[in-house]
Amino acid sequence: MNESLHPLQFVYVWLRQLQVMTIKELRQLSRDRALLIYIIYIFTLDIVIAAGAINTELNQSKLVVHDADHSAASRELIYRFQPPYFSLVGTVTDANQGLYLLDQGDAMLFLDIPERFAATLGQGERAAKVQLLIDTSKATPGFLASSYSARIMADFSREWASQQLLRAGLEPGSVPIIQNQRRIWYNPTLDEAWYGTLAQLLTMITVACLLLPAAALVREKERGNIEQLLVSPLTPFQVMFSKVLAMILVTLVGTAVSLFGVMQPFFGVPIKGSAPLFFALTALYAFTTAGLGLVAATFARNSAQVGMLVLLMVIPINILSGDRTPLESMPLWLQYLTNVFPLRHFIEITFGILLRGAGLAALWDSVLAMTLLGCLLFALGLWRFRRQFG
Amino acid sequence: MGQTALVTQSGQKPVVQVIDFHKRYYKHPAVQGVDLTIRPGEIYGLIGPDGAGKSSLMKAVAGVLTFDAGTVEVFGINLDSEAAAERIKGRIGFLPQGLGLNLYPDLSVEENIDFFARLRLVSEAELAGRKQRLLATTRLLKFRDRPMKNLSGGMKQKLGLICTLIHEPQLIILDEPTTGVDPVSRRDFWAILAQLLHEQGITALVSTAYLDEASRFHRLSLLYEGRVLAEGEPDTIQALAPGSLVVLQPERQMEALAGLKARFPQVEALGSWMRVFVNEADPPTAIQQVQQVLAGIPVRTIYADEPELEDVFIALLHQQQLARHHPIKAASAETAANVRSGNGVAIEALELTRDFGAFRAVDDVSFRVRQGEIFGLLGANGAGKTTVIKMLTGILRPSQGAGHVAGADMHRAGMAIKQRIGYVSQAFSLYQDLTVVENIRLYAGIYGLSMADTRKRTEWILDMGGLDGHENDQAGSLPMGLRQRLALGCALVHRPQVLFLDEPTSGVDPIGRRHFWDILFDLSRNEGVAILITTHYMSEAEHCDHLALMFAGRIVADASPAEMKRQVEAEVGGLLELTTDQPTLAMERLLEQGYKETTLFGRRLHLFSRQPDSDRRRIPALLSAAHIEVASIMPRPLSMEDVFVYWVTTLERQESAVATGTG
Repeated sequence: MNESLHPLQFVYVWLRQLQVMTIKELRQLSRDRALLIYIIYIFTLDIVIAAGAINTELNQSKLVVHDADHSAASRELIYRFQPPYFSLVGTVTDANQGLYLLDQGDAMLFLDIPERFAATLGQGERAAKVQLLIDTSKATPGFLASSYSARIMADFSREWASQQLLRAGLEPGSVPIIQNQRRIWYNPTLDEAWYGTLAQLLTMITVACLLLPAAALVREKERGNIEQLLVSPLTPFQVMFSKVLAMILVTLVGTAVSLFGVMQPFFGVPIKGSAPLFFALTALYAFTTAGLGLVAATFARNSAQVGMLVLLMVIPINILSGDRTPLESMPLWLQYLTNVFPLRHFIEITFGILLRGAGLAALWDSVLAMTLLGCLLFALGLWRFRRQFG
Repeated sequence: MGQTALVTQSGQKPVVQVIDFHKRYYKHPAVQGVDLTIRPGEIYGLIGPDGAGKSSLMKAVAGVLTFDAGTVEVFGINLDSEAAAERIKGRIGFLPQGLGLNLYPDLSVEENIDFFARLRLVSEAELAGRKQRLLATTRLLKFRDRPMKNLSGGMKQKLGLICTLIHEPQLIILDEPTTGVDPVSRRDFWAILAQLLHEQGITALVSTAYLDEASRFHRLSLLYEGRVLAEGEPDTIQALAPGSLVVLQPERQMEALAGLKARFPQVEALGSWMRVFVNEADPPTAIQQVQQVLAGIPVRTIYADEPELEDVFIALLHQQQLARHHPIKAASAETAANVRSGNGVAIEALELTRDFGAFRAVDDVSFRVRQGEIFGLLGANGAGKTTVIKMLTGILRPSQGAGHVAGADMHRAGMAIKQRIGYVSQAFSLYQDLTVVENIRLYAGIYGLSMADTRKRTEWILDMGGLDGHENDQAGSLPMGLRQRLALGCALVHRPQVLFLDEPTSGVDPIGRRHFWDILFDLSRNEGVAILITTHYMSEAEHCDHLALMFAGRIVADASPAEMKRQVEAEVGGLLELTTDQPTLAMERLLEQGYKETTLFGRRLHLFSRQPDSDRRRIPALLSAAHIEVASIMPRPLSMEDVFVYWVTTLERQESAVATGTG
């Protein structure tokens, strides 16, 4: 039949084959209740949870004080450690007790103000010394507590100094000072949820694009459907591409629900640039990542294996693409290497379009890189599939 | 050799007593009111198709499944609580269904045995002795270090048996131990089982889906859809549906078939032969009745035969009005117009060879299948059947050789071949989560059918497969028989000229199987479709017009079923069946006396004899000298299984002789 077909008819049959296969994938997915619930979860509830999950602000860090001075100056210094960043949980009468509380994890900061603190400060001949001990076993809050308290100390000491100058009859303004005028762009309120939800959405798009087509392909291997397809006039390209097509559709719908149904209304995440462009490029990213998933599927023998392979890939992709950690903090060679991860380029694209309002003109290099990677991965998957069954 | 085994007086306390057993899964009743009594030393059989309730019953007896109503007593202990079930487990061995599923694939044969023994707290000294003996009996000694995953299906099942017997249980429960095992390994398994059980006086409850294995049991129950259809000794069951089997070779086949089908409920077409079961008639009357129906149609050969258990099974279903009969509709005018030229060659394999690394899976295979012919490819697991099919369907490239399928060269026109063939694979290869109609439409789309054609073919498939009323059922929820007809329908959606079927009837009940073959016969005769089929059921091989037997990648015999039987008879003589109440002793005597081809079938012995007439007199005399009484000794026609086993064992012997000769 096929060989005698008119070229136009051939294209029609080819497209119809692709269409029935794609519809079949969607239909199967719609009957798989567990997978369906999982997909709904990752694009809705999971994003909500992620909004509050990463917190890079200091919150109610427990402070214990040993105030041996009992002066107005010492009380003022203590008073400056304010909620919501700090919470004064108590004072101790013995420095050793403070150390003990640090060891127990009942306090995160221990401020030790020695006797004659105010007096030394008043004389102005020597620097007045206080000791602040910080538990930094949790690196991020520890680091934050240290820098916050450093600022508190610096402010306290500068203000004390200018008061002294005033008392001495000098104009504090005559001391040279830099006034720091900051303008925060793209996320003016420094809303952590914007970053948190977007980073999570990217992770979940990646998981969906890796897992869904790979699982669909492995399921056909497992249940022996693949043999029936191989003796039919379908090409391996059609078998694989129909899965990618179906899963791109699912991913796009999920992303739209997540963006317009969760992130925009509840967290006020803006869409500065063109939404159609964002969705077009999400489709491209879905294709690219699906290629990687299909390569994984050709290595796996069953669904459990493909699940584990996906898990194995998601974590390094996520970390090395700069979804959670800044790329700049990696060694240079690794920064070059991360170019092979499609996610790295998609992060550029997502933050660029949604937060910075960037267009193709600014993002063309990422788009090109992703297209090339996608074609390469899909070709590799196709080649492995052919070799396995051809 | 004591006389402990085979003590079957009804005075003894039964080992297993099941009364009015009910089991349901959610709303679906699996077993409905089954009674069962197993006496000490018996091999008791549960025979029935998939879904008959065999597994549920066996698991309950093994104490691993709770049930809804009835009582189950094992060794006189009522299994009404988990504690009671625990008390019997030490005295029971249970081999669950599924080839080697309870074994550990990465452990060696010996490690598997050790594991099960230690699990059962067998002392190391006892273990060593038993292991040695069991490995020797099962001829697995050579393979004790081989990982279980590298064993053949038959060997896995023998290892499963050893692991079940290692703690010397008094009752063993084997759930379909021979399913998926080739006929040779199957016979071997039965022989070993009979020997081991006899030696140790063990009672056994064994299930099977193969009706022709009934003769292996002392007593059995025929199960169907959760009920007992019949129970008793094989002979007693046979007598429940009295009748005769008429075998004939008529001239105008389709006309004869139509006439016979209108008159008799059980008519089967086997190549150019036909089998008709005539209810409640002795052989001469049966032949007379058949001839009356065929008035005017010349008949080449006609004779009466003893009906097989499958005939009886179906007759019993008819008696109890359980059989659902789907008449096959004659080909419509439109499809009839589609009949291909009668004698063209549909499949031609020319010196096909396929290597996997250093292993030659298929070696120089050539054969031809004509349009309208049913061609059977037989062989043990791993003989190369599936590889041949894969090459001909274009899934696998041959290393050497050529082939033409449906008029296209397999090297150059792979896509054209794919357009012209249909394929039904071993496992159900349609989408279980799609409905019947969705599956059909999917394949119609894959083969590029127009919307109008899709509608027409969907109707035809629903009609042909008896799938009306199931259009919107998910394929996974259908019984096996319907599923396979749906798979066949989808393979036929584009009217292929050639149909490939790889063990399509595994797990399908006898009625479903006959319906399936009716369709195949109709396709080959009325639409001229060439059919290449592989099967595990040797009784199905008789349906083929032509057979090719594969061994170790080569075709070793290529003829019609009748010719094959004649060839084997010419080489080893006729088959004699001997009935005695001391079959094991009789078998030993006969083997001593040089009757090498003697095998045990329950209480009967089968042996090949070059001079059947003189042996029929000589053997009873010989045995009565050893105080063994022979109840009867009768000649029997060869079955395809006999032919298959003869070929494969002969070739295996030759091969090992060559191996030891050169090595």
